[in-house]
Amino acid sequence: MDIRVDKDACVGCGLCVKDCPMHVYELQDNVSVPVRPNNCMGCLSCHEICPAQALEHRGIYPARRHYIDIKVCEMLRKVI
Amino acid sequence: MSAGYIDELHEAFHSDLVYRAEEIPLECSPRPKEMEQTLHGVMKLNGLVIRSLEEIAGRGANAVTYRAGKKFGHEVAQYFQKREDVEGALHELSDLLRGQYSFEVWKPEDKETFIIEENGETFIYLVFHDCIVRQTLRRNGLDQGGPLCQTLFGYVVGAIEEITGRKAKLEIVHTGPNACLKKLVLK
Repeated sequence: MDIRVDKDACVGCGLCVKDCPMHVYELQDNVSVPVRPNNCMGCLSCHEICPAQALEHRGIYPARRHYIDIKVCEMLRKVI
Repeated sequence: MSAGYIDELHEAFHSDLVYRAEEIPLECSPRPKEMEQTLHGVMKLNGLVIRSLEEIAGRGANAVTYRAGKKFGHEVAQYFQKREDVEGALHELSDLLRGQYSFEVWKPEDKETFIIEENGETFIYLVFHDCIVRQTLRRNGLDQGGPLCQTLFGYVVGAIEEITGRKAKLEIVHTGPNACLKKLVLK
C-alpha cells in the first residue's frame, strides 16, 4: 500500500493516528507520517476523518458503492 | 377519480403475456439497472426496521439480529461441502457470500501466519470489502457496528459452524467507509 500525506495540507490534528486500529500513522513534527503502510487494510476511515483531506492511498480496492443514488448523481452533475 | 385514469392504470398493468406456473425464469427480471429504485427501497426499509428495533429493544436488538443471521447462515451452508480445515471453510464461505459480500484473509506485517494465536485464543483477521450491510447503513445515515452488522456476524458464524462443525465467534475490530476489519475467533 502506498500512502501519501500532503505535508502542506496536514494540520497535525492527529485524528488519523488515533483512529487507525493498525497504528499506520505517527505524528512527527506535527505532521502525520505513514510509518507502517503495509499494515493498512484500506478501510479509508482516515480519509473520512481527515479535516484537511491531506491523505492519498494508492493501490487500494474500492468497495462497491450501491448507496449512491443515480438520480442524486444526475442532479449533482447538472449543478457542478 | 376519473374513468380515464382508471383505464390508464388498467392499461399499465395489462399484458398479453401467458404465464405458466411451471415456467422457471432464467434471468432476473427486470434487468438489474431497472431495479435500482427497488434496491434503494429495500435498503431504506431495512434501515428503518433496524432503527425502530434499536429504539424499542435497545441492546437486545443485537441479540435478535445476530440470531436471525446465524439461523440464515446455518440454513444456507447446510448444502455446502463439510470441511475441517478453516482455509477451505473460508473458501466455501467466500462462494456463499459472492455478490453480497467480498472478504479477504488479512494479517498485520508483524505476524507470520494468518491463523494467529494470542492471549489463549486462536483467530483469523478478515477484511470485508464489499458489504451490503455497509451500503444500507450509509444509505440511511446509520452508524456501523450496530444490529444490522450483527446480522452479518451471525451469518458468517452460522456458516462457519455449519461447514467446519466448530464453534466460532466474530468480533468487530474496526469499521470504515471502504472496508471493515473483523476477527474470526475459533473455539
